[in-house]
Amino acid sequence: MNENKIIELGSNKDPLVLDCGKSIGPIKTAYTTYGELNSSKSNAILICHALTGDQYVASEHPITKKDGWWSLLIGPGKSIDTDKYFIICPNVIGGCMGSSGPNEINPESGKEYGLDFPVITIADMVKAQKLLIDSLGIEKLFSVIGGSMGGMLVLEWLSKFPSYVFSAIPIATTTSHSAQNIALNELARQAIMADPEWKSGSYNDQNTKPIKGLSVARMAAHISYLSEQSLHEKFGRNLQDKNNIEFSFDADFQVESYLRHQGFKFVDRFDANSYLYITRAMDYFDLKSSNNGSLLEAFKNTNAHILCASFTSDWLYPTSENKVIIKAFNALGLNVSFVEIDTDNGHDSFLLNEPEFFETIKGFLDATYKKL
Amino acid sequence: MSLFNTDKDFNVISNMIPARSSVIDVGCGDGSLLKYLDKNKNINGRGLEIDQDKIRECLAKGISVIQGDADIDLADYPDKSFDYSILTYTLQATKRPKKVLEELVRISNKAIVSFPNFGYWKIRMHLLINGTMPISNELSYSWYETPNLHFCTIFDFIDLCEKTNIKIENKVNLKRHLIQDYKQKSWVDNCFSESGMFLISKK
Repeated sequence: MNENKIIELGSNKDPLVLDCGKSIGPIKTAYTTYGELNSSKSNAILICHALTGDQYVASEHPITKKDGWWSLLIGPGKSIDTDKYFIICPNVIGGCMGSSGPNEINPESGKEYGLDFPVITIADMVKAQKLLIDSLGIEKLFSVIGGSMGGMLVLEWLSKFPSYVFSAIPIATTTSHSAQNIALNELARQAIMADPEWKSGSYNDQNTKPIKGLSVARMAAHISYLSEQSLHEKFGRNLQDKNNIEFSFDADFQVESYLRHQGFKFVDRFDANSYLYITRAMDYFDLKSSNNGSLLEAFKNTNAHILCASFTSDWLYPTSENKVIIKAFNALGLNVSFVEIDTDNGHDSFLLNEPEFFETIKGFLDATYKKL
Repeated sequence: MSLFNTDKDFNVISNMIPARSSVIDVGCGDGSLLKYLDKNKNINGRGLEIDQDKIRECLAKGISVIQGDADIDLADYPDKSFDYSILTYTLQATKRPKKVLEELVRISNKAIVSFPNFGYWKIRMHLLINGTMPISNELSYSWYETPNLHFCTIFDFIDLCEKTNIKIENKVNLKRHLIQDYKQKSWVDNCFSESGMFLISKK
């Protein structure tokens, strides 16, 4: 039941019109599902992945052979119980795991898109997800859940398709990137583009791969996912397999070795151009400015039950950013709950084993399901 | 605080609130009062609570609750967001009780506030006879570890309301369960009520 599926939606006559003005049709979406859709189609939960996530949310990843990125949370008898709910997790467009994106074939040229792929937005990703949900005959999602960029997608669903969302859980997210967020993404993009193997985005045509640029991009991003405290506790100033510093530029410190490892294992499963496109979409996301400068305007039509969550040590999307969202929901009198989970694990907390966080989600979902 | 969690006290509050009101319970704990009001008055309820374990209990009961601090987070609510706000046995633990009361009557049409009465005769006697800080069922902490920062008497509370933009609509002397219209300060109330409950609004 949970094998990867790829669906083509729309056509060149009826394409998906993107925010940039260009269009793609048909559009491909790769997705996985878990559990069974009930006869009234009322138990569907859409899971939205983060920047480097994909559709393998609760099943083994075909490249890394690791468990799904949220398999601690989702599965039979788990906090999001697949014996009860029907889980849908699509790879976003712009991604690199089978959905339309820069490393897919451009039907017009017969070659990979590369940088000919149109610049997409968070709203475009959601429009593509909406086509998938329509194709499954689901008129109301019981819940839409996601963290980080996934949280942006959740907020966009609440704003653009409010009647489709009965409940929502945006986690560790924001309504727009801060200058610091954009700066970190720009650092990652420049690292990729500075790699001579990137070849202006046409590396696959030229049989090269910007491994170094992409891994440096990942290293930089990875630091932003952790907290100072967790880095200190994990590594401190410990040396890697040696007793003394070696007066060289090898990885003397454990933290250096760890980051290098994170960078190099990432390039096996992720595409450099996808990284450019998706980080750009995140930078462009601004729910306030796209709604006449008002978040109240953005969410005026939703009456969803909402649970927001943030993490105390998250400095990438800190609690203060999440509180901006709560404030707007409160001002609209929505059924909103908010919890700030106390943890040292930084932004990455939403992907880690945080029992209190899981318990919070379970309580909210199961109680909200009774209100259907 | 455990003192308050009796059906009888819930009932007093429930009687003050019309059916289908919108209500925020500030310091809602595990959500028991909101659940009670939902069941009996079909209210549209929200909670504000600082303790994460309590928040999880609320969520599992289907209650919408925001993690936050009465001293800080009431500022995030627009004027007249609710018909009623409720603050039970929490006022004395806030950093700035006056500000909290002003926020309550700003964000709701009416506020129900209850607190332990430091003018209660047993407390007076304790201090007079023992010469140490009173410890009782209601005031169960030693002075050096109490979360309570600002104790007041029923007289103090009435004085504060008169000094600010707060109007007292009604008062209840909880331990005697005597509901009467507020007219004037009663020495008897201040001496014989273990705790006080007031219905207040913006002047």
